Amino acid sequence: MVQASSVEIRKVNKFYGPFQALKDIDLSVPPGKVTCLIGPSGSGKSTLLRCINFLEEYDSGEVRIDDQLIGYEVPGGRKMPARKLREMRRSIGMVFQQFNLWPHMTAQENVAEGLIRVRGLPRAEAADRAVEALRKVGLGDKMANHPARLSGGQQQRVAIARAIAMEPQLMLFDEPTSALDPELVGEVLNVMKTLAGEGMTMVVVTHEMGFAAHVADQVAFMEAGELVAVDAPARILHQPEDPRIQGFLRTYHERNAF
Amino acid sequence: MEWSIFQQYGPMLLRGFQITVFCWLFGTIFGMILGLLIALAQRYGVKPVRWLLQAYIEIIRGTPFLVQLFVLYYGGPLIGLRLDALPAGLLGLTIYGSPYFAEIFRSAFRAVPHGQIEAARAIGMAEVSIIRRILLPLGLVSALPALVNFSIILTKETVILSIITVPELMYQVQRMSTETFRYLEANLVLALFFWALVELISRVGRRLEIRITKHLIERT
Repeated sequence: MVQASSVEIRKVNKFYGPFQALKDIDLSVPPGKVTCLIGPSGSGKSTLLRCINFLEEYDSGEVRIDDQLIGYEVPGGRKMPARKLREMRRSIGMVFQQFNLWPHMTAQENVAEGLIRVRGLPRAEAADRAVEALRKVGLGDKMANHPARLSGGQQQRVAIARAIAMEPQLMLFDEPTSALDPELVGEVLNVMKTLAGEGMTMVVVTHEMGFAAHVADQVAFMEAGELVAVDAPARILHQPEDPRIQGFLRTYHERNAF
Repeated sequence: MEWSIFQQYGPMLLRGFQITVFCWLFGTIFGMILGLLIALAQRYGVKPVRWLLQAYIEIIRGTPFLVQLFVLYYGGPLIGLRLDALPAGLLGLTIYGSPYFAEIFRSAFRAVPHGQIEAARAIGMAEVSIIRRILLPLGLVSALPALVNFSIILTKETVILSIITVPELMYQVQRMSTETFRYLEANLVLALFFWALVELISRVGRRLEIRITKHLIERT
């Protein structure tokens, strides 16, 4: 079992100029549980996810990791020092839609980089741990490959290995399978399921309703910057009360039916 | 054509070529370093610094190299900067090249996908490490063709140093021309030297490019 963080989001607002991307968002992510964020494109799911590690700077409200406010010294106050923010980010792993591996490094170097630069491990130990993390995602044999020599699914698994090698207490996934060919989605989802089974706190922005239905402990539905509902997956996906969720799921089913 | 005069002037021309290559190397290396520092300061600096550097770039890029050299060489002493011809020429070349190199680096840095920087931030890497380990290596790769191209342009700017009496190849060629009236032969030799130098640089550049992009190109 990993040590797992909780996330508390309170009254979070985010503006891009006059456009309000997030409207008074409240969300609790319990430790060791999987929370899926679903909703139409542009609804603010990714923005909300990126507020959790402050890659996106929310304008008001609070985001707390294990009770500790991220991004600001006090709610509505000055931004926290870069050093403090880096320290908090060390225990928050993130996986991106576009993988974002560093193309000039091998798979192993990609994973070891953070261990060396951030955790300060000696090279040899970082290399060993990198191999270990790559084995865990089933890529022990690809450690010497550069990203250009890996499939999309393999690249995304390296990206997951890069995150888990840092021994995070919270993992954020930003549409981790959206850039993948359909036949490569499964291998990534399987790795994520394993992680969830180990008790990692996970927040996952996804369009994979199957994953949300089977792996998530709670599903949050967002639309137009608002968090419409948070509930057990079955309640959101099978008996949605809100017409906005019904509409979204109808479109989803129509697109996936043949 | 009368080639026998090269028996007499050959060593002088060779010496001039050496100085040309030295000036070019110096201007390229230090111009690149200065340009890189400018590009980094423009990316990370506070607003007044960025404005100041932008002004510097506009001024240097907007004026002829010859004028800059005159200001440095003849105007320098007025503010206590008394330089011999060669140091003035080296400094002049460095300054002249720096804004072009800065612009090359600036656009190369912009070409590094933002997601790769974010990935580094997300695991808590410090900005200095991100520059050193992600931004610079990837930026250099995309900058390389333009860097090689501008350093080739710079080879030919070195001839202007002859005007402030730096004894480089052009200077020697002119001297030989006025002493022997063999303008054609002298300038042909000059052209040959430059062609060889440029050819060498572009070949080395291409080799380098192939080598450093080896792992970055998708082969499926």
